[in-house]
Amino acid sequence: MGRARFLWLLLPLAGLFELGAFVHDARRAPRVEEWEALRAPLAALKRPGDLVLAAPDWADPLLRHALGDSILPIADAARADDTGYRRALEIDALGETAPEVAAWPISEVRASGRFRIRIRTNPAPANITYSFLEHATPEFLSAATLNGSNRQACTYTDHAQVTAGGLHGHLAFPRERFACRGGEEYFVGVTILDDQEYRPRRCLWAHPPSSGVLSLHFSNVPIARKIYGYAGLSYFLFRDGGRPPVTLSAKVGGVEVGRYEHHDETGWHGFEFDTSSAAGQTADVDFEIQAAPGDRQFCFYADTR
Amino acid sequence: MTEKRTLDCWDYLICGALWVAYIALLLGTVRDLGYARDEGFYFQAAHSYEAWFDLLRRDAHLALDPGVIDRYWAINHEHPSFMKSLFAFSHHYLFENWAIFREQGTAYRFPGMAVSALAVAVIYAWGRREMGRLPGLVAALSFALMPRVFYHSHLACFDVPVASMLLISAYLFHRSLEGRWPWALAVGVQYGLLLDTKHNAWLLPGAFVLHFVLTRGAHFVRELRQRRLAIPLAFFALVSVSPLVFYACWPWIWHDTTRRLQDYAAFHLNHEYYNMEFLGQTYWKPPMPRLYAWVMTLGTVPGVTLALFGVGLVVSAASLLPKPRARVFGSEARISEALEQRSATVLWLLCLLLCYAPWWSNLTPIFGGTKHWITAYPFLCLLAGRGFAFASEQLKPLFARPSWAASAPYAFFASVLIAPLAMTLHSHPWGLSFYTPLVGGAPGAADLGLNRTFWGYTTGAVQGFINSHARPRAAVYVHDTALQSWEMLRSDGRVRSDLHGTLGLAGSDLALYHHEPHMHRVEYELWVDYGSDAPKHVGVFDGVPVVWVYER
Repeated sequence: MGRARFLWLLLPLAGLFELGAFVHDARRAPRVEEWEALRAPLAALKRPGDLVLAAPDWADPLLRHALGDSILPIADAARADDTGYRRALEIDALGETAPEVAAWPISEVRASGRFRIRIRTNPAPANITYSFLEHATPEFLSAATLNGSNRQACTYTDHAQVTAGGLHGHLAFPRERFACRGGEEYFVGVTILDDQEYRPRRCLWAHPPSSGVLSLHFSNVPIARKIYGYAGLSYFLFRDGGRPPVTLSAKVGGVEVGRYEHHDETGWHGFEFDTSSAAGQTADVDFEIQAAPGDRQFCFYADTR
Repeated sequence: MTEKRTLDCWDYLICGALWVAYIALLLGTVRDLGYARDEGFYFQAAHSYEAWFDLLRRDAHLALDPGVIDRYWAINHEHPSFMKSLFAFSHHYLFENWAIFREQGTAYRFPGMAVSALAVAVIYAWGRREMGRLPGLVAALSFALMPRVFYHSHLACFDVPVASMLLISAYLFHRSLEGRWPWALAVGVQYGLLLDTKHNAWLLPGAFVLHFVLTRGAHFVRELRQRRLAIPLAFFALVSVSPLVFYACWPWIWHDTTRRLQDYAAFHLNHEYYNMEFLGQTYWKPPMPRLYAWVMTLGTVPGVTLALFGVGLVVSAASLLPKPRARVFGSEARISEALEQRSATVLWLLCLLLCYAPWWSNLTPIFGGTKHWITAYPFLCLLAGRGFAFASEQLKPLFARPSWAASAPYAFFASVLIAPLAMTLHSHPWGLSFYTPLVGGAPGAADLGLNRTFWGYTTGAVQGFINSHARPRAAVYVHDTALQSWEMLRSDGRVRSDLHGTLGLAGSDLALYHHEPHMHRVEYELWVDYGSDAPKHVGVFDGVPVVWVYER
C-alpha cells in the first residue's frame, strides 16, 4: 500500500473542509441591512430612465426592498424588455453579471460595501416615442367591442374593485380600466403577467369578446419607424397551449400595418409592424383583437420607435 | 454470534439517550418553525379523528355506524390514519387533558418527533449489532444531523415517521431471520402500522423477498426443486397479521373496503403533478428529470456523510463477492466478520435501492423534493457507518504511538460529525432552503435554480415582523400557508390573535409571498393591487430571499 494508505486521512479532512466551506457559503452573500445601505448611493446615482438591476437576479426582492418604488418602480421591474433603456446600474452582489446587460459596455465601476455598482451604457438604445401603455386613459384611448354593425363602447373607471385570482386564477384586474360587456374579465387596462420564465411583464389587458372584435383607438400618436411590441398571457395558466390563437392587428390612419397571431405556449412573444411610410407624422392608431369563442385572455405591450 | 452482534445494557441506554436527546432537540427548536401547508390539513383531520375517538368512548354503537365513521374519517382519506390518530391522541392527552404542552401545534407535532427520533435509536441499535458502537453512533447521528431530516422530523406529517417505520420493519424482519416467532409476529404488526403510515410501505415486501432469494444464493433453486424451501416466518406474518393491523387501524376502510382501497391506490399511482423548480426549470408535467433525486441528495446531504456512504457502499459490495472480499478484507477474521454481516448488508442495499427506485422513472412526480426518498436515508447512514468502521481500521495503523492510534477513531468520529452538526443547527428554521457546500450553500443553490422553499412554512420565520407591523385587526394574505396552519399559529399565540388570515388579496393589509418561480404571478397580482413592488420585509436565509412581506 505504501503512501497510498495515507489517503484515508482525506476522510476526516473532508469533514473539516466541509465545515470551512459551509461557514464561507453561509457568509458570502450580503445581508438585508447591507442592501438597505445601498439606497443613498443609488438614489444619488440614478437618472430618470436608468435601469437598476441586481446580479444575481434572485437578489431582486432585496434590491426592491432596499430601494423602494421611487428608485425601482413597477414599470421598470416589469419592463417589456431592456431595449429602451440608455443606461443600466448593475448591482453586483456576488461577482456576477446580469445576462440581459452583459453586452453593454461598462463606463464606470463604483464600490459600495460588498457591492460593485457597474454603470453600463446601452450601445444601441431604442428611441421610444410613444408607449401605448402609458396612454391607456380616456384622454388618448377609446375602447369598444364590434360585432358586425353593433358597436358597444367600453366604459372607463378609475375606481373598480381590484381583483386577483391567486395562483390558479386570473391576473390582477386593475382599478383603472375600460370595462366592456360580457363579464369582469372583459376590459382594457394595465396589469402584469408572468412570462415563460415567470418574470413580470407589464401589459395592456385586452380580452377579446366572445364574438366580434375588441377595438382600441389611440388618438394623435406620433408615428415612428415601427410599432414594436410583445403579446402574451399568464404563462402559468396557459403554458400547456392547445387553445386557438388570438390575433392582434394594427392600423395607422386607417391603413393596416401588421397582424400578429399569438399562440399561448410561446409565452411573452415579440412582434413588429413597419410604419416607416408614416414615420414623423401624427396619426390615430387602432388595434383590433379577436379570437375564436372561449376564454381567450390576451395582454400586450406596444410602443412606437 | 459474535460479541459485536449482541446489544448490552449500555447500548439500550444509548438508544434511549439518543431518542430522548433528539426529541428534546426537536422540541427545543419547534417554536420558530412555522406550520407547513400539509400540517394544516393533518391538524384538521386529527381534530376530526379525535372527535370520533371521543364519541367511541361515549357511545360506541353510534360511533361504529358506517355513516358516522364516514363523517369523521372521510377527511384526508387519501392518507391512512396511523400518524394522524397519534396526532389526535397527543392533542387530546398532552394538550387538552394533561396540559403538558402549551401549544396545540406542538402537541400535534409531538408524535411525529417521537417516531422520527425512534429512527435515530434503531439505526444505532442495528449499526451497533453489525459494526460496533462507534460506527453505530456515526450512522445514527449522521441521520439525525441531516438538515432536511431535522426539518421534517419537527412536523405533524408522515415523511420522517414513514422512514422510521420502514427502518423498524426492516430491522425486525432481519431479526426475525434468526428464526424466533416473536420477531416474526412483530414484523407482521409493524408492517401493518407501516402500511397505515404512508404508501411508501408498498414496495418493502419486494425487498424482503429479494433478500430472501439473494441470501439463499445457489441453495434457493435446489431447495425450491426439492420442495424443502424454508420460508421465513415473517412472510406468513406479512400476509396474515399485517393486513389485519392495517385494516383495524383505519376506520375509513371498515366498509366499502375494496373500492376505498382502490381509490387510495389510484390517488397515489395517478398523483397530480405539482410544480417544482430544478436547475432553473420548473417541471409540472412528465418527463420529470431523472437526475432530480441524485442531484438533490448530493446537494442536501452533508458531503462527509456521502463520502462515508461511498466507502461503505464499496466495502459492502466487495464483501458480497469472493475475490474482492479477500482483497479488501485481507485477514480471515475480517473476512468472516464481513460474511456474518452479509445478510444485513444485502438488506440495507435493497432497501436503499427500493426507496430510490421510483425516481428512476421520469413519470414519478418530484414536487415534494427530498422528503419523497427520505426513507432511503437510514440505510444510507447505516452504510456510512460501515464506511466509518472500515476507514477507522485503515486509519489506526497510520499513527505510531499506541495512544494516538487508540484515539484516532474518536477524532475521526468528531471530524465526520462536526460539519453536519453545524449545518443542521444553522439550517433551522429554514430547513427546505438549506443546501450543502457541494452546490455552494443557499446562494449557490439559488444560482443553480434549485427550489428555495415550498409548503408555506416560512411564515413562522416572519411572524415577528407580522406581529410588530400589522395594524390592529389587519387581514393578512397568507399565500402558500394553509389557512388551517395560519389558524394554528394564531391559536398558539405565535401570531397576534386579532390578525385575520385570508386567501384573498383584495382587502388584505399585509401580504406574504413564499417564493417559488411559478408562484411569481401571485406576487405580480400583489404589485397591481398594492401599487408597489417594494417588499416591506424580506426573510432571508444566508442572504437568499425566501419569504417576503408587502404592506398596503
